[in-house]
Amino acid sequence: MHELPAKDGIRNYVVSFVFVYRNNFFGLLTGILFGFLMSHAGATTYDFHAKMFLFENFQLMIVIGTAVTVAMVGVLILKRFRVRAVATGNEVDFVKKPYQKGLMVGALLFGIGWGMSASCPGTIPAMIGEGKIGAIFALIGLLIGTMAYGLLQTYLMMARRHKALNLDDENKAKLHCPDNSCDA
Amino acid sequence: MEIEVWNPWIAGLAIGLFVIFHFWLMGKPAGCSTGYGNFLGLLFKSVEYFRVGEYSHLNNSRLWFLIGIPFGGLLSALSSPDPWHFTFDMGMYDTIFPQTDAGRAIWLILGGALLGFGARLAGACTTGHALVGGAMLNPPSLLAGAIFFVSAFITTRLLFGT
Repeated sequence: MHELPAKDGIRNYVVSFVFVYRNNFFGLLTGILFGFLMSHAGATTYDFHAKMFLFENFQLMIVIGTAVTVAMVGVLILKRFRVRAVATGNEVDFVKKPYQKGLMVGALLFGIGWGMSASCPGTIPAMIGEGKIGAIFALIGLLIGTMAYGLLQTYLMMARRHKALNLDDENKAKLHCPDNSCDA
Repeated sequence: MEIEVWNPWIAGLAIGLFVIFHFWLMGKPAGCSTGYGNFLGLLFKSVEYFRVGEYSHLNNSRLWFLIGIPFGGLLSALSSPDPWHFTFDMGMYDTIFPQTDAGRAIWLILGGALLGFGARLAGACTTGHALVGGAMLNPPSLLAGAIFFVSAFITTRLLFGT
């Protein structure tokens, strides 16, 4: 056991706490900033979604167009100068979402959800912060939908494992009696 | 709730800079919808999918990013001229949504469920695919972003009957 003076003990505790939870703190900070910007950009205001799709107001289209363009230039600069990330100390990882089975169907369902609720997973929490009651119900739905996918994947994982185990048993049985004479 | 909305060019510039800032600070792309899985994994320990792979560490920055967003919305609402209050007002959607509060709640839960299931099936949401994936010119993200938009466009047109 180490016997450190209380001051050093507390300091070590704080240092290790910061070390372990620093990224979570960064996450919280960027989340607050993201919610603030989404809200002031108008992405949490229902009418802007309707007006964008009815071609009456292009607020959100200009916002996302400008944002993507600016971010694209930024990504090129970060890549060009091999900038190191603050949280990891390594070069920024521009990991890209792969094409996955069901992407098109998923995107189609997502779009219907977007049209129905005039919100998306990033704006719903911000809308709750603004006091929009509708967003609370959308959040409940969002969790149900995510849960449904998680349950489906869990069952698929179990089924695959089950199949592998059964195949294993069959192979063992074949080794034990190659001519299947002991089946009866 | 009347939120003070910025000029779209300024807001777009700010969000673009945010995406770059997030890359620089965290060293990885920003994303929203994955964090809901972290939350569900912490809540339901027996759902294995939310405990393995990308969900093996649940108490991470993705979860805290989501926790931060409502505070950002609150700050935005507080800095707007209108005083903060709860509201079930949905603007133009009031005319086409179910007219009772319960009906509207069920409608929104259904829409939210499609958002949640669709986002997981597609791999990311508007932020991960359209915004950040678009900035990286990732082909699957551009495809997903285009389908998000067309699908929502058709849905909205059908709902408003135009």
